[in-house]
Amino acid sequence: MERLNKRMEVKAVTKTFFGKKGYFTAIEDVSLDVYDGEFLVILGPGRCGKTVLLNILSGLEEQTGGSIIYNGTEWKGLNPEIGMVFQKLALMPFKTVIENVELGLKFGGMEKEERRKIARYHIELVGLKGFEDYYPKQLSGGMQQRVGIARAYATDPKLLIMDEPFGKLDAQTRYQMQEDLLKIWEKEKRTVIFVTNNIEEACYLGDRIILLSDCPARVKEVYEVDLPRPRDMVSERFLRLRTVISDNTDLSI
Amino acid sequence: MEQMNGKQKAIRNVLYWGLPVAAVALIAVGWIAFSSAHPELMPSPATVWSRFIKTFTKPIAKTTLLGHAWASLKRVLLALLVAWAFGISFGILIGWNKNARAFFGSIFEVIRPIPPIAWIPIIIMWFGIGEFPKILLVFIGTFVPLVINTSAGIEMVDKINIQVGQIFGGNDRQILQDIVIPTALPSIFAGIRTSVSSGWTTVLAAEMLGANAGLGSLVTRGWQGSDLSLVMVSVIAIAVIGALLSVLLQKLEKVVCPWND
Repeated sequence: MERLNKRMEVKAVTKTFFGKKGYFTAIEDVSLDVYDGEFLVILGPGRCGKTVLLNILSGLEEQTGGSIIYNGTEWKGLNPEIGMVFQKLALMPFKTVIENVELGLKFGGMEKEERRKIARYHIELVGLKGFEDYYPKQLSGGMQQRVGIARAYATDPKLLIMDEPFGKLDAQTRYQMQEDLLKIWEKEKRTVIFVTNNIEEACYLGDRIILLSDCPARVKEVYEVDLPRPRDMVSERFLRLRTVISDNTDLSI
Repeated sequence: MEQMNGKQKAIRNVLYWGLPVAAVALIAVGWIAFSSAHPELMPSPATVWSRFIKTFTKPIAKTTLLGHAWASLKRVLLALLVAWAFGISFGILIGWNKNARAFFGSIFEVIRPIPPIAWIPIIIMWFGIGEFPKILLVFIGTFVPLVINTSAGIEMVDKINIQVGQIFGGNDRQILQDIVIPTALPSIFAGIRTSVSSGWTTVLAAEMLGANAGLGSLVTRGWQGSDLSLVMVSVIAIAVIGALLSVLLQKLEKVVCPWND
């Protein structure tokens, strides 16, 4: 695979929280590269570090050490080219599906007619056509997360960060969503950073898998996954990869 | 199985519709019993009813019961409009802005527990007993719950919702307008509901201390003239209007917050 352009470089990022009871290091010396167009999975078994790391990458939080290089230049603060799918969904309950999806476009000052058109396209892309005027509460968990994905896609981000988006779904829905996410990704290629604590999910989705250690989170190993898609979860190579990663994973859950 | 369900449903329906009716019937029976045993303490429902009719044929202070009800309502509505405008804005300000909360918060905490009727002496001394002091009193009684509910609702907005706004490029004003205020809307509405009931009780207290019109003045007039039927008529009118207001607000809330079903 050609890897000419590094979309993002994370250099020795550390995050320490200082509180009344002393300090706590969530992330320690994490360095990684994100290449243009790849589906990068960050696999973290631990309780800490993952969401913090993502918040640093997206600029919601500031690291206490190290730096983020975005597209060749050092970046601080919120990055308008980054979209995000949240673990807790964080859909606005008072907005309909289409109003949720067009949120970023509305903030960007786009005219209503145009942003509705773009929102409709992305709602169809995630398979929710016909549900535009529903409130999130009226949808199932899987459908809600589809809204979250459509919302992130609608702003046309160069880099899409997904924080355990399927963590709260039942197994059946989860498989379906993984498959559909890859279909969407094939159709609308973006650079994706996908965070999960599920080894099977990581092996199914990732071009590369970055395995983090338990608290504090450090990069333990980087795996290149050269299995062709769609991947067969019971093929010998898949299972072998899964076992290799599993044996190397800190047990904490 | 289905028959069981049908039966259970029927029982539930009877309970839902029957119990409130039973409660009202119980009060009516109690009233009749009490009034026939002690007619000097409690007029009978029939007497109250004929007194009610009389308020239309023989106006009190040149106006009918409806006129008095409207006089009270007008005061409440006027005060409420001002209180909604200022109370909600002020609540948003101290809920959203930490500096404003630090500055106004402590003053507000001191004023907050004072019941509105405790202001009556001061307000009468300053402004007399005209229309303005009554409206001011209702304003004070309604302003406080509005500020409390609004600011609490704004403060309670989940941090992640604000992060969503930031990630999707919203500036502070957009995040406040498109995310924070709508998220807090159910709390704001709780404040509105409290403000209406609190306004309604405050206006009656204000009117009882001296007014030419208003349901509160009718209560005082009936009391001083030993016309207990008139007191009962006014009290029932107060209760009915209060209940109507709360039903109206429930309907309004369904329109304003349709997702909250």
